[in-house]
Amino acid sequence: MTDRTLFVVGVNHRTAAVAVRERLAYADTEIVPTLGRIREQLPALAETALISTCNRVELIGLTNAAAPPEPDEITRFLATDRRIEPGRFTNLLYRFAGRDAIRHLFRVGASLDSMVVGEPQILGQLKLAYAQAVTAETAGAVLHHAFHRAFAVGKQVRKATLIGYGAVSVSSAAVSLAAKIFDTLADKTVMLMGAGKIAELAARNLKRAGVQSLIITSRTFDHAVALARELGGTAVPYESYKPYLKLADVVIASLAVSEPVLSAAECEAIVRERRYRPMFLIDLGVPRNLDERINALENVYLYDIDDLGAVAARSLEDREREAVKAAAIVEVEADSFMRWLGGLELVPAIKEIRSSIEQLREDELERNQGWLAALAPDDRARIEALTRGLVNKLLHRVLSTLREGGAPNQLYAAEVARRLFCDDLGARENALRQDLNDVLNEGQDEDSADDRDNDEEF
Amino acid sequence: MNGLWLIPALICYLAATAGFMLGRTPANVRRSRQATIALALGAALQTAALATSGVRAGNIPVTDFAQSVCFLSWLTALAGLILIVRFRIAVIGGFVAPAVFVATAVAAVTIRRQQLRIPEALRSAWLPVHVTLAFVGFALFLLAAAVSVVYLIFERRLKAKRPLAPADERAPSLEKLDRINYRLLSWGFLMLTLAIITGAIWADATWGHFWSWEPQESWSFIIWLMYAGLLESRLTAGWRGRRVAALTIVVLTLLIGSFVGVSLLNPGKHGGSFG
Repeated sequence: MTDRTLFVVGVNHRTAAVAVRERLAYADTEIVPTLGRIREQLPALAETALISTCNRVELIGLTNAAAPPEPDEITRFLATDRRIEPGRFTNLLYRFAGRDAIRHLFRVGASLDSMVVGEPQILGQLKLAYAQAVTAETAGAVLHHAFHRAFAVGKQVRKATLIGYGAVSVSSAAVSLAAKIFDTLADKTVMLMGAGKIAELAARNLKRAGVQSLIITSRTFDHAVALARELGGTAVPYESYKPYLKLADVVIASLAVSEPVLSAAECEAIVRERRYRPMFLIDLGVPRNLDERINALENVYLYDIDDLGAVAARSLEDREREAVKAAAIVEVEADSFMRWLGGLELVPAIKEIRSSIEQLREDELERNQGWLAALAPDDRARIEALTRGLVNKLLHRVLSTLREGGAPNQLYAAEVARRLFCDDLGARENALRQDLNDVLNEGQDEDSADDRDNDEEF
Repeated sequence: MNGLWLIPALICYLAATAGFMLGRTPANVRRSRQATIALALGAALQTAALATSGVRAGNIPVTDFAQSVCFLSWLTALAGLILIVRFRIAVIGGFVAPAVFVATAVAAVTIRRQQLRIPEALRSAWLPVHVTLAFVGFALFLLAAAVSVVYLIFERRLKAKRPLAPADERAPSLEKLDRINYRLLSWGFLMLTLAIITGAIWADATWGHFWSWEPQESWSFIIWLMYAGLLESRLTAGWRGRRVAALTIVVLTLLIGSFVGVSLLNPGKHGGSFG
């Protein structure tokens, strides 16, 4: 009975290497025209949206027919459109249909399908894909609902689970640890000893987290000066950096040295000079730059690269654990979406039955027009009301029975009811079309309400 | 006062305890808010119970140990609410709510039906002032110790390279906990100082001497010296963090020990006997 199928075809970071993904990917500006081309060239698709990010290229849509689209049709389109030989990607494509397709979309929205589980960008990317499909006018009632449910699932998952929590990279772990030690970073000073890549990244993250004051020293003074200019800090010569250490609340060391440059005794003297104000030392150097015994000093916290790596790894593990809960939410939502999709088929049946019975009533009144006209206006109105009441009572019982029970039962009951009450198949077709328009308009009203909620995530 | 009066407040405190103890995931932020409301409601109900017994006693209701504990737990709940709402340290609710619940429950069970009436001679305006100052100070020291316990737990985990689980990401930083400990100790110290001064003035007015070295007085003086030393070391030597947190807990243990010990063993003028 369901005569349209939701489907997903695409590649992601798990199925295809970046060499293939970059060939298939669409730039933001290309998507709307591409959706237009799809509508022209693939008439079997009633609705389509295109999701293209660094980690995935996916076409999600609705067919006009009961079967998923011919695989060849879409791959042929992609191959021509992207000028890539079909052989390079067809065996990397995944295809989902029906419940699996909506489940996939929800998992993407919940960031369960992301490279770093729980990363927050994907929801914004989905919203962009949806907005483009709306602009291209290739999103219909089903995709409207599908995307809005995907946004809602994404939000719910982030709210109900800890999937987005914890620092999952070394540089973000440094910032998250700093926030556990210091209440605010605005009045703190960060000192960079050596300017390795990760050190620079961590410094950038700390700056973004509010650090105002930055001191940089490096073997090559020019490098320190250049970085200081770029990040907004002060460069000090490598030969005389030590006196500056007592100013630093956070130290990021990444020097290429064979021996630690700061001993525990030296650090203790610095701490005393700082009157025991806490210090957070991050040692990214291998071999290590800072004596590991420094961690035993009062109000000093020393993390080396492995410690930070372990913090990030633990956050990832935590996220994986939370992903199980998130996946359960997705399953429930996928079921609920499929019920909604089943209900779509029910709505036209209800409409049809209603109009068919109403037609019967009007026909009967028409046929008895002769003697009805002879009655007093009051009596005519009463008879009119009586027939209306009868029809409503009858309809109410039929419709409430239809609305009970699960999707398969509903559809079966709808079919039986239609056979009982309707005889005109053309009317059915019209009712279906009318209904789709209604749902579409309804869906759009909901959309605008949802968008207000979602603004902060854009 | 009848212990039954405290039952509604106890129910609220128990609910607050459950709310604060359950997980602190983002989804449970609402639960922690509900727990705060339960704590506030408990404090309000206890206020009513204290007011009725205050009216019966003819003054502030601290005529025996149970009543004192009840009064102290009420002040602790109020001060805890300030920390949770004003300073956003919800984690402290996990200490305040159960402590207040247990203390109030002990008070409710042991409270005597026939209350002593405060002797006419002692019913002066100094009584509520002196007692309230002393107990407010006590409550602030209790909270300072609770904050210190949180500090030590967080600090230990950071040192051991096992920082807090993501669920505690909104937990206060060490710097904030240390600063709040300092503020609580400062205010507590001010209250204790004023309590000692008002007590001395009152004693002079009643008995003709400021100080009689009875047990409560002596212990209060010792505790006062310790808190003075703790604050002084921060100002002059820059002591802070772990060391101060540990000492805050040690001094509080002494304070509780002296309060309980003196009240139960040798109350002197500060007990129910008013000798």
